[in-house]
Amino acid sequence: MSKAKDALLDPLFNNNPIALQILGICSALAVTNKLSTALTMTIAVVFVTAFSNASISAIRNHIPNSIRIIVQMTIIATLVIIIDQMLKAFAYEMSKALSVYVGLIITNCIVMGRAEAFAMKNSVKLSFLDGIGNGLGYGIVLLAVGFVRELFGSGKLFGLTILSPVNNGGWYVTNGLMLLAPSAFFLIGFIIWGLRTWKPELQE
Amino acid sequence: MSNDSIFKTFLVAFLLCVVCSVLVCLAAIVRIDKEAYNQQLELRQTVLAAGGYQQQIDDGGNVDELFTTNFELKIVDLATGEYTTAVDAETYDQKEAVGNPELSVEIPAELDVAGIGTRAKYAAVYVDKSGTVVLPIRGTGYGGMMYGYVSVATDGTTINGLTFYSHGETPGLGAEVDNPRWKAQWPGKQIYSNPGTVALKVVKNGKFNPSASDAINTIDGLAGATNTSKGVNGIVRYWFGEHGFAPLLTKLKAERG
Repeated sequence: MSKAKDALLDPLFNNNPIALQILGICSALAVTNKLSTALTMTIAVVFVTAFSNASISAIRNHIPNSIRIIVQMTIIATLVIIIDQMLKAFAYEMSKALSVYVGLIITNCIVMGRAEAFAMKNSVKLSFLDGIGNGLGYGIVLLAVGFVRELFGSGKLFGLTILSPVNNGGWYVTNGLMLLAPSAFFLIGFIIWGLRTWKPELQE
Repeated sequence: MSNDSIFKTFLVAFLLCVVCSVLVCLAAIVRIDKEAYNQQLELRQTVLAAGGYQQQIDDGGNVDELFTTNFELKIVDLATGEYTTAVDAETYDQKEAVGNPELSVEIPAELDVAGIGTRAKYAAVYVDKSGTVVLPIRGTGYGGMMYGYVSVATDGTTINGLTFYSHGETPGLGAEVDNPRWKAQWPGKQIYSNPGTVALKVVKNGKFNPSASDAINTIDGLAGATNTSKGVNGIVRYWFGEHGFAPLLTKLKAERG
């Protein structure tokens, strides 16, 4: 039981894919200017990591070693295309806001990394939990960054006005930097700093 | 059987491909069905917003119903300002026509104030049952092409509304081009002072003087987005000029005058 718990909870803080493994930074910059896009991206990545891990684990004893990377890639790509198409069909506005970044989950090192490092050696159940855990570990950082960027960049949270911005006749002068991608770099840097101060054993 | 035998390798690859392609096909079928409708809905929302129906949408009005009861799609020959049936209104794609030499004209450099290079010969416009026309406009801003719609009242010179639906302007600065508060200063402005002379202009933020004699032709630009404001100014000058919609607007005014 503790093994399952570890697979699920370890990636949240102790082995966070973004903050510790420094994977998936590109999309973390691109989709965090609003909480709603960050949340959708989190759900998409959790779905892909969980099911790719589970399906790769399920057939791991039949995957020929010579084509194992391409087999993993095909499964991951299929799942990403499915979620991308579903977003286009049922959440059109959101899919436009996320543009190419849902499709780019295919190239997100977290998914491939977990398939190769974990799912190829562990049971379906453990792999599934590890996938959810890593997806959430990625998502937790995304949501934290999205929270700060949307609040200080547009004075909103999930589209609801918290700090009334000057551009709409309010009092809050929005921080333009927070709307641009580089701000996510700074914020992720602060998160990494905070996490390693809290857990000194993570320092290299 | 060994996992690494040639037969097993091909078998696994083949089965995987079959399963994955079936799943991808199913997903694509669902998407294609919905996407055409989603795109149509988006277009209708944009046209309604430009045409002054945003309040009714916000109040829970049905987009499809509002659109079909109020608007009619017409194709305009921009050179003459006459409605035409040279192309099929339902299938005509103005963005695609721009890249088609037979359906577009090159704009002489000195006239190309909006920075668009070529424009389609025919424009797809939406005519409100009140007579207001919603016109497609585009031009180069700071971050690439900005696409939008502007609506002009029956007198052919009063702006009724404006909206941009696709642009690459800087978030928080140029992207405020789609801020409802900024767009609110457009309705009521006059495009022409003397017939045929485009007087409407976008000035640098803060240079707008509400008591000046030309205030009715002037829009205050966006703060911190001089190039976006210049882009919008270029769009206004081009699309309301002789090379743009002026022939159509003159014709509409004469018909109703």
